[in-house]
Amino acid sequence: MSALTFTLKSKPAQRVDMSPLVCQHLSGLSIAEISALTLQSGKLKLRVDELFTLTGSDTQDIVINNSADNLDFIGQDLDGGSITVNGDAGAYLAFGLKSGEIKVSGNAGLYAACEMKKGYLEIAGNAGDFLGAALPGNKMGMKGGTILVKGNVGERAGDHMRRGNILIEGNAGDYCGSRMTAGTIAVMGQTGRYLGYAMRRGTLLLWNQPKLSASFNDCGAHTLAFLPILFGSFKTLNSRFADASIAFNRVQRYAGDMSEMGRGEVLVKL
Amino acid sequence: MLIKLTGGIVYDPASGIDGQQQDIYIRDGRIIAKPADAVVDKEYDLKGKVVMSGAIDMHTHIGGGKGNIARTLLPEDHRQDPVYRSDITRSGCGHAMPSTFVTGYRYAEMGYTAGFEPAVLPNNARQAHMEMGDIPILDKGGYVMLGSDDYLLRMLTAKKDQKAINDYVAWTMTGAKAIGVKVVNPGGINAFKFNQRKLDLDEQNSHYGVTPREILRVLATAVKEIGVAHPLHVHGCNLGVPGNVQTTLDTIQGIGGLPMHLTHIQFHSYGTEGDFKFSSGAAQIAEAINRNKNITIDVGQILFGQTVTASGDNMRQHANHKHASPNKWVTMDIECDAGCGVVPFKYKDQNFVNALQWAIGLETFLLVNDPWRIFLTTDHPNGAPFTSYPHLIRLLMDRSFRNDMLATIHPEAQKMTTLASIEREYTLQEIAIMTRAGAAKLIGLKDRGGLSAGNWADITVYTDNADRQKMFEKPDYVFKDGQLVVVDGKVVSTKWGTTHVVKPEFDASVEKGLKDYFDRYLTMKLGNFKISDDEITEDGRGSISVHPLQGDVA
Repeated sequence: MSALTFTLKSKPAQRVDMSPLVCQHLSGLSIAEISALTLQSGKLKLRVDELFTLTGSDTQDIVINNSADNLDFIGQDLDGGSITVNGDAGAYLAFGLKSGEIKVSGNAGLYAACEMKKGYLEIAGNAGDFLGAALPGNKMGMKGGTILVKGNVGERAGDHMRRGNILIEGNAGDYCGSRMTAGTIAVMGQTGRYLGYAMRRGTLLLWNQPKLSASFNDCGAHTLAFLPILFGSFKTLNSRFADASIAFNRVQRYAGDMSEMGRGEVLVKL
Repeated sequence: MLIKLTGGIVYDPASGIDGQQQDIYIRDGRIIAKPADAVVDKEYDLKGKVVMSGAIDMHTHIGGGKGNIARTLLPEDHRQDPVYRSDITRSGCGHAMPSTFVTGYRYAEMGYTAGFEPAVLPNNARQAHMEMGDIPILDKGGYVMLGSDDYLLRMLTAKKDQKAINDYVAWTMTGAKAIGVKVVNPGGINAFKFNQRKLDLDEQNSHYGVTPREILRVLATAVKEIGVAHPLHVHGCNLGVPGNVQTTLDTIQGIGGLPMHLTHIQFHSYGTEGDFKFSSGAAQIAEAINRNKNITIDVGQILFGQTVTASGDNMRQHANHKHASPNKWVTMDIECDAGCGVVPFKYKDQNFVNALQWAIGLETFLLVNDPWRIFLTTDHPNGAPFTSYPHLIRLLMDRSFRNDMLATIHPEAQKMTTLASIEREYTLQEIAIMTRAGAAKLIGLKDRGGLSAGNWADITVYTDNADRQKMFEKPDYVFKDGQLVVVDGKVVSTKWGTTHVVKPEFDASVEKGLKDYFDRYLTMKLGNFKISDDEITEDGRGSISVHPLQGDVA
């Protein structure tokens, strides 16, 4: 069986809610039935085959070709299976992802992996603001799984994050790890201002010295035995994080945010 | 156009009619006597149906800034209850603090035709009226909040005479377009700003040296002397504090026979007995209510589930913030007027305190004898959203259902309540008194809450059903000012209700002192404080209905 492939005919004028097109909703449906599903686009409800050309039949292996940055909610609540996006993804990519794998070849918009529960998300390009965050007003962001971003991420990455890993090969914007309750964010590039703003617990792992707020305390240099184990867990990733030469175990440790409970840590490579 | 409602079983306590078959005629929005020879344009056959006037919620938080704070604080509550638009209704969202439009639709769909906002801050009165102006179908009105405002406390410290205070109260009511006066934690909201974290009935505000007892006396006197029908609406001291039953009894005694309405009394009826040092004071409270004819109450029943508490009582809301669920909350100061606290709450039947609160509310309903002096509220949204009223009515009217529910709550709470032994079941007439005739009388509405000729045609028609929850959830018809707005529990047309106010007289010289005060301390100028009739009526939606003062010749 070949992958069920949706090829976007042309970029729609209005944003499209793609949440119906996830593996568990499509299993058992024929191509004709899938073509007849409707997607909300602005004020209109459009048939799937008005927007996409459909080929293939494996509903557990979905490919979206020619994707555009106004296709929102791709892979919402995905519970098993895989979705491959060739091109850009809109906002709320992998929103509430439960299990399975989502890979995007281009960039992702706002709130990628918002309130993700488990599974794996890979973005080859850049991600927008609020990567792995909570919906506005909610108290719990990403709760598990792994996000890999090969490019840069916007502001507030990991806002209200509770568990899981966010791995960023590029730079992170301002307020990276804000209001984190737990979990790990690793940034190979530069970080912005207000790193770890109001973080309670959790780990920010950095390759470059950040500009820290006064509410983070320097705890000195440490050799941490858990770091090689953590890097070991990245071995299978298609990423620079899998490269043994980037690993380290000697860090400068900062604790904060002292204006919150202060049990978070920023570990900077020495 | 002449509408005839034929053959319904009418419950109209205002006219002493208790379940008699009667025809009702409606013309030009009002109920009229049987016309001699006119042709009926539209007839509804209501044989076997129960007919009551439209229900009136005399204490429901539907306007004012705290609603918007609650909405902002709880986006998840809205996400779980989206309401889509239809050809005649607008979109919005529901649950604990619904959007204005959904508030109107959902009230109407339960047979309610009026709701009164009990906490209109004078400074925020314009916003409260604009917000209520966005609520379709319902009539509305507000009780203006006094008692923790610096101006009144200054007057009391300066020993100003009662006449000066009467003028200030009357001026504020007129300027804020109110129909009553509310006091919340008298002086306590102000004391909070001077770092006091509790204030008993006879404890002095550390800055002004004034006690809650004095504030209540002077405001209750003012309300009576300027002739406002609705007695002083009191949210007492020590809300939610175990042992506050004594405070409440002292408050009743301390008012010295003046008319006083004690609101959400369930939250003020707690003793300190038992292993958990928390017990029911409902029996003592009910006995005091039965004895003191000057006192009226509404219950503020809690019902289990997620809701949000929104109150001007920032002192008590601050104390309760550790119970916030989900864990987020707001308390704030509002200029020199008062404060505000919003704390989300999840009442759980397996939590001893919540379970006993539930039982205390029901005990109060069942032990107070006179349905004309007790009103059915959940203090929406503080005890539960108003949409739970049909469930509450069933608890009151159906003893076996009540006992079934009682058997499911926290076992220790079951042991601490006498609820199982109370046999009373409310009758339809008593429900009609509590939610219609009594409420209209208490607020002083001259032509609402009754079905006799001359009243506005706010009418609700139910199908009698032994399951009272089902019956009250889904009225067959609801008429608002003679217009059919609901059929089978769904809105079929919408209109705009009126705003009920009183306009007590005052000596114009009262503004002299106030102008200096506004200029020096407030963000608004005195001239802007006063809401004109035009602001409510100019868009063609709203209207103002002025009700008579006591002593007026109607």
